[in-house]
Amino acid sequence: MRGPQDYGGLPAGLVDPVKNEHEPTHWERRVDAIMLLLFDPKRRLARVDESRRMQEALGDDYHKYPYYERWLQAITWLLLEKGVFTQEELDKKREEVRSRLEAERNG
Amino acid sequence: MDSKFIPGDKVRVIERSQPGHVRTPMYVRGKPGVIERIVGPQPNPETLAYGQSGLPYKMLYRVNFSQKVLWPDYEGQDNDSLEIEIYEHWLERI
Amino acid sequence: MSEHHHDHLNATHTHDGKPIQNDEPPSIEAESLETAVRELLMEKGVITADELRGAIEAQEQRRPELGAKIIARAWVDEDFKQKLLSHGDMAVRSFGVDMKPTELCVVENTEEVHNLVVCTLCSCYPRAILGIPPAWYKRRDYRSRAVREPRSVLSEFGTIISEDRQVRVHDSNADLRYLVLPIRPSGTDDWSEEDLAELVTRDSMIGVAEAITPDG
Repeated sequence: MRGPQDYGGLPAGLVDPVKNEHEPTHWERRVDAIMLLLFDPKRRLARVDESRRMQEALGDDYHKYPYYERWLQAITWLLLEKGVFTQEELDKKREEVRSRLEAERNG
Repeated sequence: MDSKFIPGDKVRVIERSQPGHVRTPMYVRGKPGVIERIVGPQPNPETLAYGQSGLPYKMLYRVNFSQKVLWPDYEGQDNDSLEIEIYEHWLERI
Repeated sequence: MSEHHHDHLNATHTHDGKPIQNDEPPSIEAESLETAVRELLMEKGVITADELRGAIEAQEQRRPELGAKIIARAWVDEDFKQKLLSHGDMAVRSFGVDMKPTELCVVENTEEVHNLVVCTLCSCYPRAILGIPPAWYKRRDYRSRAVREPRSVLSEFGTIISEDRQVRVHDSNADLRYLVLPIRPSGTDDWSEEDLAELVTRDSMIGVAEAITPDG
């Protein structure tokens, strides 16, 4: 039983050292920083191993997510699992944020 | 915490299927190697992954494998090798 | 969009001199999820805006240039080098690096051995020193093939390892984080530590390249 993350030795394409090479974007840095804060000794709200377990639970979808989107999805599920916020709170907040962002992007 | 193995010991990664979060990749399971060093006792990621304490600690080793043993069709040199960290409960003596 | 201006959008080259592209802004799906999670965490008092800003700033300090300074020190100071190889965590503390909860394992390239680092299961990387890993390090092609055909993968980076050198791959799958100590280029005997650091690229500390050889 091979998990979707267990890539070692599988056939794959040539490595392209330049493709998508970029300085981390501000969005990526924010996701990264949120994770670090949740994992830090002060909060220890989650462990990196828990986040990996959530990513692996994506199954075939694991491959479809860009890197930071996969981590973000994993920590969101963890926060829901731990009851830090509810699905209802998240849905409501997300709707509100989305309208705001759409207005910003179109403005 | 005592370590079951010391550097130089010949070991095999246990070939078993285990559901859940595991840090022993498929490509080393069932493969023979040599203990390179004792890393020390570490919390168990297999239980940390489920929000537990990671206790009891598991002894962690670095194990050295010959690439030709890992991959029968290995294209490189005979002495090319690979090192990876393996927890004691995934190792057996050979 | 205004906050994107704080980004390094003007940078056109990495430390390795390779051109970089700026990433597309995230999809509205991704951005709205991140923003919603962040705002909920703040409303509930789990994190504060100051803490988040602090974490981003701290993370921006972790860059390959920091690793290059550490390598250059090891090239000029034998005692430091031995400490780096035997007790990596302690050695890098003098550079303000805290490896916890992981441990640092520095592997030395020699005329006999070339080391290469990969994490096949995710993307473990000495982030406390080098920062966020490059895109290729996180992608499937590298993670799948670096363990099985390291010499081919190295050649895709333009790095040819002679047949009389052993290639040793390190799969960073658990609690250690690996940093490669590249070979000090020849012809640099009288170089200062500061100048030597300029020869140490990120890729040479992952092992997909050698340190830069100065001209002449």
